[in-house]
Amino acid sequence: MKLRKAMAAGIAVATAFSMMPMSAMAEEEPVTIKVFSNNPDRTADQGLVEQTIFDAYMVEHPNVTIDVEALDDEAYKTKFKAYAAGSEMPDLVSVWGQPGFIDEVIDAGILAELNQDDYADYGFISGSTDGFSADGKLYGLPRNTDVIVMYYNAKMFEDNGWEIPATYDDFLTLADTINEAGIIPVAMDGGDKWPLYIYLTDMIQKSEGEGVLQKTLDAISSGDYSDPVFADAANKLREAAERNVFEIGFETTDYGTAQNLFTNGQAAMYYMGSWDMSMATNQDIPDEIRENIRIFNMPVINSDKAASTALTAWNGGGYSVTANAANKEAAIDLLNYMFLPENWTRIAWENGVCMSAQDFSQFATGTETEVQKQLMDMVSASTNVSGSPLGDLGTSEYKTVCEDTVQQLAIGSISTEDFYAGLSALVK
Amino acid sequence: MKGKKKKLTPARIVMWFVLLVFAVIQIFPLIWLLDFSFASNTEMFTRGLLIWPENIRWDNYVTAFVNGHFLLYLKNSLLINILAVILVLMISVMMAFACTRMHWKLSGTVRGLILLGMMIPIHATLLPNYIIYDKLHLTDTIWALLIPYVAFSLPQGLFLTGSFMESIPKEIEEAAVIDGCGIYRVIVVIMIPMLKTSLVTVSIMTFLNNWNEFMMASTYLSSPKWKTLPFSVLEFTGIYASNYSVQFAVMALTAAPMVILYLILNRHITEGVAMGAVKG
Repeated sequence: MKLRKAMAAGIAVATAFSMMPMSAMAEEEPVTIKVFSNNPDRTADQGLVEQTIFDAYMVEHPNVTIDVEALDDEAYKTKFKAYAAGSEMPDLVSVWGQPGFIDEVIDAGILAELNQDDYADYGFISGSTDGFSADGKLYGLPRNTDVIVMYYNAKMFEDNGWEIPATYDDFLTLADTINEAGIIPVAMDGGDKWPLYIYLTDMIQKSEGEGVLQKTLDAISSGDYSDPVFADAANKLREAAERNVFEIGFETTDYGTAQNLFTNGQAAMYYMGSWDMSMATNQDIPDEIRENIRIFNMPVINSDKAASTALTAWNGGGYSVTANAANKEAAIDLLNYMFLPENWTRIAWENGVCMSAQDFSQFATGTETEVQKQLMDMVSASTNVSGSPLGDLGTSEYKTVCEDTVQQLAIGSISTEDFYAGLSALVK
Repeated sequence: MKGKKKKLTPARIVMWFVLLVFAVIQIFPLIWLLDFSFASNTEMFTRGLLIWPENIRWDNYVTAFVNGHFLLYLKNSLLINILAVILVLMISVMMAFACTRMHWKLSGTVRGLILLGMMIPIHATLLPNYIIYDKLHLTDTIWALLIPYVAFSLPQGLFLTGSFMESIPKEIEEAAVIDGCGIYRVIVVIMIPMLKTSLVTVSIMTFLNNWNEFMMASTYLSSPKWKTLPFSVLEFTGIYASNYSVQFAVMALTAAPMVILYLILNRHITEGVAMGAVKG
């Protein structure tokens, strides 16, 4: 009894304290925008770009304070749910423009609708805002264009007389040759699982070309994965793993380790998204490797259907303003400021951090790294883009199952049939 | 010959060897942590168990201190943990006394119910607790951490002090009561000194568990004001790759107070756990 009274007293005191600043804040002129971000490191990569823009905004708007709370992806998603259940939702939040995340959030009415006309001059690449829209309404803005590419060590290729493969069969043969030389052909981050389903999507894209997205969406909505292209792509992933195209133990290799296999010269290639172009400016990487990082697009499997200019690309992360934000207008103003082309797009590109989802060609300086130039060419020449990878197209439960089973598929603990049967059972 | 003289028999050599192997296995992670905290990010992934860094990177520690808000988080961690330990000790001693020494109808049931708390996983309580705190406007305050830290440590505290208390002969208290000692005085003057070993154990366990806790802290806190040390590691987590070497430095700094505390109180911990386990 005494304990309960003491606790109640404690709670009352604490409540009184925590209420005070809140009521004081709303009335006065200064505005505090609360930002909830999934970029915890504010001194590197996208976290740095974000913080640079926020700092500039605060200089231009002296009455505005931007409070950033940042957590890494897993903790971010847990806390996002907690915020959604409570009453103190932050104003500007990181979101993912994939059905697995955003559909549930939009349905719950958490995000504020944005005015599409505001962005007419922003140069968003056509289709890049689709993931952030529902029923013709826009709920968020994408922050980057991600393309899956094969990074390779140009010097190592040259020294050994290896050629960039023209077909997928050439690629497998090349991997055998590299293995014979005692080097890992492709560093694969299989521990995080999602690179594996991207590989699978890439296989579908390279054999099917146009219509990958539609075929995948149809399969997910009907639960029917009987189209041979699915089984074929899964078999190709399994075959690659079996032929040791990836390092031994790839299923437990995490992101940093996979990247470092490549940047230490233990692997000749590295399969990862375009955001890792920042390797080319990373001073921690030895010169002879950093300056020789180049990329190629995964070679086609079926040249009748797929063109060599078809890319597996998507617009993943982005930002939204919350519907019940305490400072909704201010937050929308900040969001619009962030995505003025001379802000996010320019800063991200000039620092070699990532490609934005907007037209960045106007910011080409000519002093970009080789990787950046190659990427720019690749994107501007692209004839077909896949949309989201396989795992991102369903619910969050679908994504989890897809991630777990694609890893089991890659190491051969389940068959291709079981893999699709599992996905099919989930969506039916 | 007096008793058994310590000779180097083969059995002894084997015993020493086995102990040595275990000691190395136990200490190795700490050495590894220290070693990696002086390396650069790329050196970290070279082959071999330990690295011989080309340059000793003291700047990892400087970055950890400055960018990781180390001192602020250390202050918060110390304050919250010390308060939690004090509260847990006070409440567990009183509960243990009420459940083992006082006669009332539901004493057994209440004790059982509290001990059941050990079975509740933290993750299951995250969302409901968040909603309660939100309604009471407790999120982002020191209470948001203090309340769950104390609550989750209490079952263990009651278990250890309770079983230890049962092994203390009742006659001592009876003698004190006959001499005119009140109930609170019995607890403070008679019981607490005798419970010393188990109280040290409870303190250490509470401190250790809460020192490294992150899930609740990340859910219930949002501003840096009350954030604790595990957040320091997070400041160096990138969206895809992280600044591992600085994270190692942060972890070495975070682990240091615990290691020192453990070394000082080592004897009490093993004693306390053993005594609680074989109650009389």
